[in-house]
Amino acid sequence: MNAIRAGVVASAALLCIVGAAYAQRGGFRFFSDEDDAPMPADAGEKTEFVFARLRYPSGRFWGYAGYWTIDYPKADRQFLQGLRRLTRIHARSVEEVVSLDDDKIFAYPWVYVVEPGHWTLTDAQCKRLREYLLRGGFLMADDFHGSDEWEVFMASLSRVFPDRPVVEIERSDPIFHVLWDLDDMMQVPGIVNRPYFRTYEKDGVEPHWRGVYDDKGRVMMGICFNQDNGDAWEWADDPTYPEKYASQAYRMAINYIIYSMTH
Amino acid sequence: MFEFLFKYPASVFSRGQFVLLGGWPVWLLGLGVVAAGAALAWHLRRSPKRLTGGRPAVIWLLQTLMAAVLLLLLWHPALSVATLRPQQNVVAVLIDDSGSMAMQEGDRTRLDQAREVLQSGVLDRLRERFQVRLYRFGAAAERIDDLLGVAGAQPATRIGEALQAALADTATLPLGAMIVLTDGADNTGGIDRETIQQLRQRRVPVHPVGFGREVISPDAEIVDAVIPVRTLAESRLSAQVTIRQHGLTGGKSQLTVRDAGRVVASVPVVFRQQDAPLTQTVNLTAGSAGVKTLHFTLEPLAGEVNAKNNAVARVLQVEAAKPRILYFEGEPRWEFKFIRRALGEDSSLQLTTILRTTQNKFYRQGIVNAAELEGGFPSRAEELFGYAALIIGNSEASYFTREQQTLIREFANRRGGGVLFLGGRATLGNGGYAQSEFAEMLPVRVEDRKTTFHRDEAGFELTPQGLDSLICRLVDDPAANAERWRKMPLLADYQEVGEAKPGAVPLMLLNVPGRRKSPLLTVQAYGRGRTAVFATGGSWRWQMSQDAGDQTHELFWRQLARWLVSETPGVVSASMPKTVLSDETRAPLRAEVRNKEYQPLPDARVEARIVGPEGLAETVELTPSPHEEGVYAAFWPALKPGAYVAEVIARRNEEEVGRDTVQFRREEGVAEHFRREQNRELLEKLAEQTGGRYWTPGAAKKLPEQISYSEAGITAREARDLWDMPAVFLLLAGLRATEWLLRRKWGVI
Repeated sequence: MNAIRAGVVASAALLCIVGAAYAQRGGFRFFSDEDDAPMPADAGEKTEFVFARLRYPSGRFWGYAGYWTIDYPKADRQFLQGLRRLTRIHARSVEEVVSLDDDKIFAYPWVYVVEPGHWTLTDAQCKRLREYLLRGGFLMADDFHGSDEWEVFMASLSRVFPDRPVVEIERSDPIFHVLWDLDDMMQVPGIVNRPYFRTYEKDGVEPHWRGVYDDKGRVMMGICFNQDNGDAWEWADDPTYPEKYASQAYRMAINYIIYSMTH
Repeated sequence: MFEFLFKYPASVFSRGQFVLLGGWPVWLLGLGVVAAGAALAWHLRRSPKRLTGGRPAVIWLLQTLMAAVLLLLLWHPALSVATLRPQQNVVAVLIDDSGSMAMQEGDRTRLDQAREVLQSGVLDRLRERFQVRLYRFGAAAERIDDLLGVAGAQPATRIGEALQAALADTATLPLGAMIVLTDGADNTGGIDRETIQQLRQRRVPVHPVGFGREVISPDAEIVDAVIPVRTLAESRLSAQVTIRQHGLTGGKSQLTVRDAGRVVASVPVVFRQQDAPLTQTVNLTAGSAGVKTLHFTLEPLAGEVNAKNNAVARVLQVEAAKPRILYFEGEPRWEFKFIRRALGEDSSLQLTTILRTTQNKFYRQGIVNAAELEGGFPSRAEELFGYAALIIGNSEASYFTREQQTLIREFANRRGGGVLFLGGRATLGNGGYAQSEFAEMLPVRVEDRKTTFHRDEAGFELTPQGLDSLICRLVDDPAANAERWRKMPLLADYQEVGEAKPGAVPLMLLNVPGRRKSPLLTVQAYGRGRTAVFATGGSWRWQMSQDAGDQTHELFWRQLARWLVSETPGVVSASMPKTVLSDETRAPLRAEVRNKEYQPLPDARVEARIVGPEGLAETVELTPSPHEEGVYAAFWPALKPGAYVAEVIARRNEEEVGRDTVQFRREEGVAEHFRREQNRELLEKLAEQTGGRYWTPGAAKKLPEQISYSEAGITAREARDLWDMPAVFLLLAGLRATEWLLRRKWGVI
């Protein structure tokens, strides 16, 4: 009996160690204590803008619970503080989790998805996402890296829009100028890159700001590939996280939000 | 009967003045009556008291009345009346020679009847007393010597112009009266005030003699078709077609609108109410830019007497111009994005937006150059008035300076633009609008409290006016339209506003459980322009909660935006009361000229370059109106039938102020098919306003004698005795008889 108990404890300990190490490599991540953030007093305020975080399936049993929660909820709430301070957008202090399994998402015309390099959307979800975007919704995809994750990302996206290409967004596009002029942008590293001698993960050396356009030439999806803006928001209050990355991450996302509210 | 009792016709009494020809003073008459009354009272008191109660008083009253009448007769009552001196006055006799007079009434035409009246001795007896001038009239008046050339062939009836022509022709002559033999089927819509004034100035009574049936049955007629004169390309229009019918109750027909032979709309018509005019709404789309002549045709019903009055034409100017709308939004919000999307896809509108993204930054979209709106919301009239409509989003009143608030108010009031106020957390009641310059221009009352905005889902319903309004017309069929609105998703938020002001029209009402129904969309005319309140910032849900292909959100916003801009005038605004002149040759042109701040410009030089059929090209100068500042007018003779374009250009100090174009059509051989029944109402009114009398053909034989009583021309005052009127003797006899009958009844004879 003692042997069994010792085995269970040892297995659990091993699982924790392996899990933590894997998480630091950018593998599956659960909602961890370090991502936690206190619930603001005005969390129940009814506002115009709500930061909607997309919950999605990511193919593996443990991943379903995990990938969409990366940096959640601290990144969201910390970003929202900046959004509220820097703009006139009437924004709620806390995020809202939405999924593609019901029509609630249509009440939130701006949605953030993290780690979509692991999403495995069902056909129904692809259909709802397509409908959401064509009605006027906007999706910001962030924090996925390298060719493998791009392939996974595209495997679902190509079922959302078999007829629309993913293209690089030109620097002249209004999305980079709607509030701040973002002519010179750099790769925003995640916390895994600490101490930031290297800013990329896997083989995602070059950052890309890609998009999917609608028939009127408006960006429907802002795809931040090979960069980790979520970490930049989350760790903006960390003295070791370089301010220049945090600033750009805030500016870019705010530009995306204002763009989505004006185009 | 009147004349038998009172010796003279009623007109003598209405014109004459009561006088007492006896030389004794009037006070003596009063004294006599009092004395007689006293004497009679004394006499009754002294009589044996056989009368009791109030009976002596009744007898005294009857006797005193009789004494009073007898005394009055001693004072020689008479009427002093002006009469035309024989052979010293002219009487104008005008006979209607228009097509409608050739209409058969039984075995004779109306014209035959008119000739018969004149030739049955009336004309001869008139000539015995007066110098008679004979005219025939229709589209124009012409003096004639006899009735031989009168054939009922003129294409229109203009009674007013005919009267004016006769007045002008006899300007230096003592004109005593006018006799007009007509059916009153005037094609100009009535007799203008100027003509009536001239007649009254010369005190010339007009005696119309009316011919023809007052009701023609069975017949249906398109009385009018009202459409906007101008519209933007691809706009939806609503035409109000008024149809009058007699004897066709229960009948069904089809009303069709054609543009160059192509059917653009068609609706069934059912005459449900007996002999009542029916107004049928026809919805249609304007189509591409250009001038269109829309033909409204009512399919003739079986047995209709006249099928030629079943069609009318209207000119529609579909403009290629793209009016500019300025949308100011106080903070980024979804409503802004989706309104931009809806209006941005409308090729007939230009949307310029200015959005406060941060405390110190604006984001401008749709600007034509970098300088546009560089300083934020315009502070100068010249800059703001360049737009045709304004949308004021979620912004506190205090964000605007008092001058800007006044400017926004003047934008609607003076410039004639449309202003739409949206709901939001910082606007209307929440935004201090009740204490601002905006309060007056809003079509609803707003409370001064910060809790009027609710970020909760809200239902709504259309009012009957909303269901009729083009703004809310999602589908043409009214029932399907109502159903479509019932199925619309909820709004994301709503704002409470007070009731609609008098004259404002609520088109939609909020329907939130537990709250009173308050106006959601309310519109009104304000000054030269119009204002509206849409008390929500949450109509974007209509887009996000419906299929991507659904166009209801876009359609609603485009229609609302078109309502805002469609009647916004430019600095020069040319117009005509009618764009189709049916057998009318006078084209009345009107232009309103304003400067860049839209203040009336009274010292401009305004001319119209008119291009018409067969290569016609003329320039006509418009003169300032004495009644309205900045308004210029001219009458231009459009003699040839066809399409005309008048380009009105205003200049000041050789510099062009602006220009505008108005298009119209001249049609021939149309007017006389309409309103063919006798318009007795018009003729009676003409007689009443000029001091004449309306005559039926049967009574007209008395005309020569009775028109003598006139203040016009050369007159003499004559006193006509009243003492020998049969009515006086009947009165005296009646008083005596009453006394006798009463005494007999009471047994005191």
